Amino acid sequence: MAAILVIEDDDATAVAVIAELERHGHVASRAADGESGLQLATREAFDAITLDRMLPGLDGLTLVARLRERHITIPVLMLSALSDVDERIAGLRAGGDDYLTKPFDFAEMAMRVEVLLRRREQAEAVVLRGGGIECDLVRRSVKVDGEPVRLLHMEFRLLEFLMRNRGEVMTRRIIFERVWGYYFDPGANLISVHIARLRKKIDRPGRPSPIQTVKGEGYLFEG
Amino acid sequence: MRWRDIIRISTFRLSAMLGAVFVVGLIAMLGVVYLATARDLTARSDRILHAAAQRLLRVPADQLPDRVRSELRRDRAGFNYLSLIAADGTVIVGNVRPLRPLSPGRPVDVEGGSRGPFRLVALRTGQGETLLVGRDISLLRDLRHTILETLIVSGLLTLLCVATAAIGFSRAPLRRVRALQRASREIAAGDFSVRMPIAGRHDELDQFATTVNATVEEVGRVVAQVKGATDAIAHDLRTPLTRLRATLNALRHHPHDVGGVAAGIRQATGDLDLVLERFAALLRISELEAGRRRAGFRTIDLGTLVTQVAELYEPLAEDRDITLSVTARSWSAEGDDKLLFEALSNLLDNAIKFGRPGGRVGIALVDDAHGRAIEVRDDGPGIAADERDAVLRRFHRGQGAQDTPGSGLGLSLVVAILHLHGFRLSLSDAGPGLCVRIALPRPV
Repeated sequence: MAAILVIEDDDATAVAVIAELERHGHVASRAADGESGLQLATREAFDAITLDRMLPGLDGLTLVARLRERHITIPVLMLSALSDVDERIAGLRAGGDDYLTKPFDFAEMAMRVEVLLRRREQAEAVVLRGGGIECDLVRRSVKVDGEPVRLLHMEFRLLEFLMRNRGEVMTRRIIFERVWGYYFDPGANLISVHIARLRKKIDRPGRPSPIQTVKGEGYLFEG
Repeated sequence: MRWRDIIRISTFRLSAMLGAVFVVGLIAMLGVVYLATARDLTARSDRILHAAAQRLLRVPADQLPDRVRSELRRDRAGFNYLSLIAADGTVIVGNVRPLRPLSPGRPVDVEGGSRGPFRLVALRTGQGETLLVGRDISLLRDLRHTILETLIVSGLLTLLCVATAAIGFSRAPLRRVRALQRASREIAAGDFSVRMPIAGRHDELDQFATTVNATVEEVGRVVAQVKGATDAIAHDLRTPLTRLRATLNALRHHPHDVGGVAAGIRQATGDLDLVLERFAALLRISELEAGRRRAGFRTIDLGTLVTQVAELYEPLAEDRDITLSVTARSWSAEGDDKLLFEALSNLLDNAIKFGRPGGRVGIALVDDAHGRAIEVRDDGPGIAADERDAVLRRFHRGQGAQDTPGSGLGLSLVVAILHLHGFRLSLSDAGPGLCVRIALPRPV
């Protein structure tokens, strides 16, 4: 359970965002404008913030920049109706950790918050373990049931990302964004074939794959 | 064509300025000619006077009066003046008397004699008398006047010629400017098929018209694309929106059918996602076409880019049993690597998607007779020649693509990205299959 601050001026969106976060077991508080959002974020300890880019008074970009000036490093997911790539870049440069364009899928929003939370938790992690797999982030090596497995660079990054977000469904799009670093839709099959290739290397006979396919949604690392 | 318009033309002004410089030069030259001629004629006349006077001075003093008389008698035409003046100023013999004292040996012009102007020189004899020798200079004066008039008239004629030429030279450019203005008015009125007339002289007006024509072509292309896109949006976005409306209508009439409501919401969400996906793609295209992403340009290695795209799609090719080949070279270009990666991904995705299962797909940097290019080839069914232009239009789905997922905006996005980079895309027959060629600008 994490404490999330939702800074959003639109009531309907705020209610839906909070409901989705609560469905994922988090506690959400709301600020309806930039000034009160900044005050809350400064005064209380939150684990993550969802921040609307366009707010009355203090706008989202300025707010996140003020937070970073005050050395408050809470992960921030920016939500914006401005979809230009340049706007995304501006949001990330100002100090945002992720950027989601409106209208968005609420489940995807919650998933991105999870990714931010986990990244923070595991920032210090050196070895990720789960499903019989040991992923050494320093040596860039992988062992399955104690046996070394050779992975290509992108296969390693894909496995690392899924393991870091263990137990959470990751959509193809967010996988593509976070692993490959590109912000376009690569088509339905591309991520599937990369996952299939990774599975061939890490799956062991007689045991279900640690990477599960969630039909119509994405992939999930279990173990 | 009005006088005021003509004198504003730069050709007229330039011709007039050059003409003025020419005329000033001409006047200076003619003045020098006139002065030199006049001085020469006077000098000749003076030499004749001196020679005549010296001849008389050599005559013995007692014979001189008779000689003077005899000389005067011989001069029937009356062109010569001769006088012998005593030291007291009385005229011993002769036909001329000086009105003022003359310096000996220095000829002077004397005006208003009974027979016109003459040139007179005075010399002293050994006996203290003064010998005056003169010559009529009317003819000389007439000749000088004639030369002066000739020079003035020819100067004026030259001036007239210069002015006429300046006007003449200006009429043709003025006519061309008028034609350019007419064309620009038609373009401004929205007719992008009109082009500025080009005379074929490669002069500054032709260069200007060529530049404007290129701009008009580009604007026309964008306007046509916007119109085409608007039509396509109207058609393609209406379909899912109409379906969505029908779904919501059905839900309104059967609100208690739990299974139906769940299916209806799934259907409606799917339709909305389709609309949003197309909407997002359109916004990206318009963002690219506005050229705002050029700010992100930097030097990139095309070879690395091609290799990375191929690595990303290699598992997909393998999944379809397609052999994917890469030919990379270390070529650099100015561009946005993320955008070019997206464009190449799209092309490679298409090649694998529409290529022949079990066949071959290649992505290569090629350098041939047509220049440098990136080529993506497949050996699938290809695209019929008459359909190749259409597939580059927004929302177009090629023959046989109806069962393959996609919005029909992919190639438009590719074209927009390449256009932003100044790269040109063309489709051709790979015999069998399709060859997509991205022509790169020549390296500087």
